Amino acid sequence: MTLEQLLADTKPALQEIQTRDLADIQQASDWQAKYRILMQLGKKLPPMPEKMKQQEWLVKGCESRAWLMHYHDKSTDKHYFILDSEARIVKGLMAIMLCLVNGMSSAELAKFDLCHKFDQLNLKPYLSQSRGNGLTAMAEKIKACCPAA
Amino acid sequence: MSGFDVQQFRSQFTFFQLQPDWVYLDNAATMHKPKAVTDAVQRFYQQQNSNVHRGAHQLSQRATTEFEQARDIVASFINAKHRHEIIFTSGATAALNQIAFGLMHTVLQPGDRILLTQLEHHANIVPWQLHCQRHGIHIDVVPLNSSLQLDLAAYQQLLLQKPKVVSFSHVSNVLGHIQPVQQMVAMAKAAGAITVIDGAQGVVYQQPDMQQLDCDFYVFSGHKIYGPTGTGVLYGKTALLEQLTPLLAGGEMIEQVSFVNTTFNKLPFRLEAGTPNIAGVIGLGAALQWIQQYNNNDLIQHKSLLLKAFFSGLAQIKGVDILSMPVHNAGIVALNVDSEHPSDVAAMLDQQQVAVRSGQHCAMPLFSYLARPGAVRCAFAAYNTLDDVNRCLLALEQAVEILTA
Ligand SMILES: Cc1ncc(COP(=O)(O)O)c(C=O)c1O
Repeated sequence: MTLEQLLADTKPALQEIQTRDLADIQQASDWQAKYRILMQLGKKLPPMPEKMKQQEWLVKGCESRAWLMHYHDKSTDKHYFILDSEARIVKGLMAIMLCLVNGMSSAELAKFDLCHKFDQLNLKPYLSQSRGNGLTAMAEKIKACCPAA
Repeated sequence: MSGFDVQQFRSQFTFFQLQPDWVYLDNAATMHKPKAVTDAVQRFYQQQNSNVHRGAHQLSQRATTEFEQARDIVASFINAKHRHEIIFTSGATAALNQIAFGLMHTVLQPGDRILLTQLEHHANIVPWQLHCQRHGIHIDVVPLNSSLQLDLAAYQQLLLQKPKVVSFSHVSNVLGHIQPVQQMVAMAKAAGAITVIDGAQGVVYQQPDMQQLDCDFYVFSGHKIYGPTGTGVLYGKTALLEQLTPLLAGGEMIEQVSFVNTTFNKLPFRLEAGTPNIAGVIGLGAALQWIQQYNNNDLIQHKSLLLKAFFSGLAQIKGVDILSMPVHNAGIVALNVDSEHPSDVAAMLDQQQVAVRSGQHCAMPLFSYLARPGAVRCAFAAYNTLDDVNRCLLALEQAVEILTA
């Protein structure tokens, strides 16, 4: 599997999360419903092949291991991401993060306020939780993908 | 018939009155504090608050008396021969660091060997590694057998290599397994080794008797035995404490200072640099005094009742992989749900207000041996009830249902 293929498979999955699942999550009536959706989200993303799970893509500060690959299409100045995680709920939450930023330009990514967006989705508690789940580290890693201004 | 009334016991913890909805099973990480402890700490700050060992006033003298009384309480709790064998530290980690650092050069020389075990907490691995690497000392590791108990035959073999120091935990912080410490100390002594016991999880299970156990060092943290965080005890036999080079210097630990030479104060002060955690130590004294009104056998019996109920409940839930053994267990159960990541299971328990810990529990070498990414750890304390056990089981069932849907 090449990076291009993975990106091609990931893009529609993230789009679908953006357009369909986010609303469902917001409307989930209880935690069980919310967690069921989160686990489905993780499943929508194509798994990263084992040999791609290199140290440099590892999201540090994470109790379960997660990997984030980034691709910057310089011709269009758009940022694309590939994600995997050992833990399903974390993967679902990270997928939400990614669908919010996937395809953004450098300028958009630089000013994007992830915390604010997570708050709107009633997901803020997961972000501010102990660093253990790695979401904060993930947010930092996404921000760090911005080319230095 | 046991005289132990868990509701009476539990009612002394303000936390459970203020947070009645939580099932707290993260006791191996830290325990809740009874009112006797929080009151002692608050009383100290509100009515006394003076530094120890130095004030010219009565307030300081009273603080010193209380602080030193705590030392007596600890000494009697673990049946140390002398009160100066009790060194207050910030915790088990600090105590182990002091021992590892302090033995270098005085006892351990380049080319020597030391012996640890496969299931140690990082606090009983990394301080040794840090200093052993720099001083050219070799570390050997006692392996586990198939029931995840230490392999004593292998231990005996490794002792033939004449390690100078053997350091192991009283109770595994992941599995809850109680190590045969009495036997292990005797074997190590027969081989001429200095013995160090990491009692972080053991001390709350069984009040250790230093003179009977006859180990050279025993360490524990106050916060895992109903006491305040930032307190800990380094017990050592006098002759060995004398051989420890102080890790920290300054303050009361000094007798005479010039820029040519400094001489140190006598024990225990020699190893207690700087202003100690006075309120914390007084709180720890209060904790140990408080727990001694209960018969420890009653507490052990109560916990084994909880464990039994938990294990038999777990057997009814499909797909649960239990790492801990029910026998020789101090009250900790490490488990996984089929191939699910432990953090997913723990997150779902958290949603149901069941507090557990997941991950590798600062014992990565154990998990690489187990070949698992981690585990969910349910650690029971004497204030837990059968209702807690049942709520945890129900929450686990719910988690399994959602995860395997
Ligand atoms: C077996 C063991 N040793 C050492 C420690 C370290 O204790 P502390 O963090 O209180 O210094 C712990 C705590 O988790 C432990 O369980």
